[in-house]
Amino acid sequence: MLLPFDVEKSHDATRLIVRGSLDINTAPALAEEIDRIIEAKPGKVDVDLSPLDLIDSSGVAALVKLYKGIRSSGGNIAIKGARDQPLAIFKLLRMDKVFDL
Amino acid sequence: MADKITLTVPGALRYRALAVRVVSEAARLVSGSAQRDEQDLLADDVRDPFDVAVVSAFMEIFNNVAIHAYERDPTGHMEITITPGACELVIEISDHGRPFDPTLVPSLPTDWDAHSLPEGGMGLHIARTMLDDVTYEPGPPNRWRLTKRFSTATEPRAVRT
Repeated sequence: MLLPFDVEKSHDATRLIVRGSLDINTAPALAEEIDRIIEAKPGKVDVDLSPLDLIDSSGVAALVKLYKGIRSSGGNIAIKGARDQPLAIFKLLRMDKVFDL
Repeated sequence: MADKITLTVPGALRYRALAVRVVSEAARLVSGSAQRDEQDLLADDVRDPFDVAVVSAFMEIFNNVAIHAYERDPTGHMEITITPGACELVIEISDHGRPFDPTLVPSLPTDWDAHSLPEGGMGLHIARTMLDDVTYEPGPPNRWRLTKRFSTATEPRAVRT
């Protein structure tokens, strides 16, 4: 299965680009990567959701896990670029304000 | 408007994308939304608010059946009947898996901050909030009925169970 994400790492920052459909079928693979990202304790994480077409509650849960994990270790995280269906889901769940989407 | 569309798929997550494709195209029949890229008809292109609501809710109910009703056993089946109307879309989903009591699903909190963001329990909330009506009758067969009306505001509505 084509992984629905790319990870770009620099000195103290990580960029996660999520594309396609982040759902119950694809979120487990991302969750494994999220565990690795959190473990590395980067100072800054940028999440780019602009190539993301669809998301379900499993995908949202994965991103919430990343958000909480980075913040709890003192890092900064920015989630940007959500549009269409994913943005509608974040707004419905009232996470758009928390994520500053 | 089109006749009923019926689809029988194994109640396994690997068939979800196929079912979602059919549902999203049925939503287009009602909403009249256009494909963003007509050269890429297989793209996950869901933008119209009506389509967004229908597809988002259906994905969550499909997950619910595959995971909770069939407990990830791929031998069960889901019968999906989609009825596009002039002003609404009705999706009926029946399965022969384990019934459940939706009234036992806790409601999501109405507000949260960065520390209290939920990591689960969002699926049924999404379906309930996106649609105009969601009903569930325990079986066998268990029956979900999802209704989305066109040109109505997407507001949280009561769920009948």
